[in-house]
Amino acid sequence: MNTSKPPTMDLQNLNPSSLKSRFATRFLRALTKINAQKPISPSSPTEIFQRYRRIKVAADKSMAYSVRSRRTWSRATLWRLRTRSPRSRLATLARRSSVKTRTTTVVDKTSHGKENKEERGAGLGVEEEELRELVPGGEAMDLCNLLDETAHYIKCLTTQVQVMRTIANLYSLD
Amino acid sequence: MLHRLESLESCTYDRMDMTVLERQAARFKWQQQNYVVQNNNPVELCASSVPQFQGLVGSNLGSGQMVELKRLEVFLGTDNFQEFMNFPVTGPEFGDSEKLDLLPPEAAADYCISRTSSCQMTALDTAVMKEEREDMILEKMESTIGSGRGSFNKRKAETVADHKSKDKKIKGEGESEVKTKCSTEISRNSSKENSKASEVQKPDYIHVRARRGQATDSHSLAERARREKLSKKMKCLQDLVPGCNKITGKAGMLDEIINYVQSLQRQVEFLSMKIAALNSSVENLPMKEFPAYVANFPAAAKLPEMAGLPCFQLNPLQKESVNCMLNETMHPPQTEGIASASVSISEQSLSSSSMTQLQPFSTWSWNMDPQDTVPGNGIISTLQEGIQYQMPLFTFLQDIFQ
Repeated sequence: MNTSKPPTMDLQNLNPSSLKSRFATRFLRALTKINAQKPISPSSPTEIFQRYRRIKVAADKSMAYSVRSRRTWSRATLWRLRTRSPRSRLATLARRSSVKTRTTTVVDKTSHGKENKEERGAGLGVEEEELRELVPGGEAMDLCNLLDETAHYIKCLTTQVQVMRTIANLYSLD
Repeated sequence: MLHRLESLESCTYDRMDMTVLERQAARFKWQQQNYVVQNNNPVELCASSVPQFQGLVGSNLGSGQMVELKRLEVFLGTDNFQEFMNFPVTGPEFGDSEKLDLLPPEAAADYCISRTSSCQMTALDTAVMKEEREDMILEKMESTIGSGRGSFNKRKAETVADHKSKDKKIKGEGESEVKTKCSTEISRNSSKENSKASEVQKPDYIHVRARRGQATDSHSLAERARREKLSKKMKCLQDLVPGCNKITGKAGMLDEIINYVQSLQRQVEFLSMKIAALNSSVENLPMKEFPAYVANFPAAAKLPEMAGLPCFQLNPLQKESVNCMLNETMHPPQTEGIASASVSISEQSLSSSSMTQLQPFSTWSWNMDPQDTVPGNGIISTLQEGIQYQMPLFTFLQDIFQ
């Protein structure tokens, strides 16, 4: 593959430790595993749906593992995936509370509890709460760290989408 | 030289009607000096006009020059400011400056001795300013605190922690702010002495300066520092999220960010769905060359231009599963009021022709203002071009599949 280099792409410039390559490697490995587990041609939409769930979980997990524990959101994602259980509601509550205690990154008296939400600073209001819900692990951070996490999360999501889109295109072009 | 300084001070200090040009000149002179503090007699004062110092502080990074401001402020309460023309610097202009010791002894002792230890080039403490000298801007103070670290008041620890991370951009802004601030008329209000920020003259306190007309208690200062942090981070986020250049205000920005994150998450889900659907018809892919290839794929396939997905075909079974996924993950886009970004999901009709036929299928469009990046159709063509370049890989893949 390296023998024929296209004029626009130089595969030797690939940084093997970049986020993209780490994620790509992991995700492809997971995909292989998923393909190996199930029959290749499922016969029902349910199967496809299950496969989709697995692939999505694999994608999130791969991304979180590529980031390791350096970021709150990756820790929260891994925690969520690890303690995922069929009983969604109770488990979500349990996860959220444990995520709160585990992923507190700021030694801050206002990091816990709903009663402190107003103190979390100068009310950016509804959007702030929405953002907290979007970013994994966002409930337990103050706004300042939340914005940091959001920035990194956006960057990683972008990478993830790029890689997955490439894979999907490669699949579809056969 | 001293006379020049004196004249500057006399004509400018009390009323602060120094012109911008003079201030710039003074700042330039100051910048030329290599300011060394630690070897000097701590009792000596570095006397310069306050605007000079403030301007210079704004333009210099964290050196001991900051310290001199604190010393100055000791005398600001007095009217003898113009007599202080001490520059313990090694610059040529001030080489012959007389060293006048005009400090009130107790204040001098307190300030200078307390600042001796921190009068290093790596000193980080900001100067203590009395409130009547209000042209100092807090941000400028923060920005000039460079790489060194002094001792902190724990209350102000976070303020100082921010200083290290502030970039020169803020320093540049601080400079312009200094100009605007100094152009306003400022009079020494002794009434503000009561509310000055520095109440202790211990070396382990962070002394910050408050703006004119602003509250000076510690809470508001800390609050202001926090707000500056937040706005800096919002600026970083603005760079990440496309189409945010026109949006001002925190709420709008947050809405944009939320929309963008939601769209990214949905794209991940959709792509995983697509892979799941396509996986059903394709064998395993070789894993050795793939990661390198996939990861090195041209990054031109950016998100905002995802106007059309590459073609793939869903049979009726897959169509149902796609609908399942879409129903599960889709929730109505929020905040329609954002003009520049609206997420619209358009489900085209999924024809049920044979699986081998490829038809255009667009399920996602992120309507954004046209950016300077690859248009939507470019993605597909780029991918296809990129793929064509990898012919050996594809022949290899085809061999695997057949």
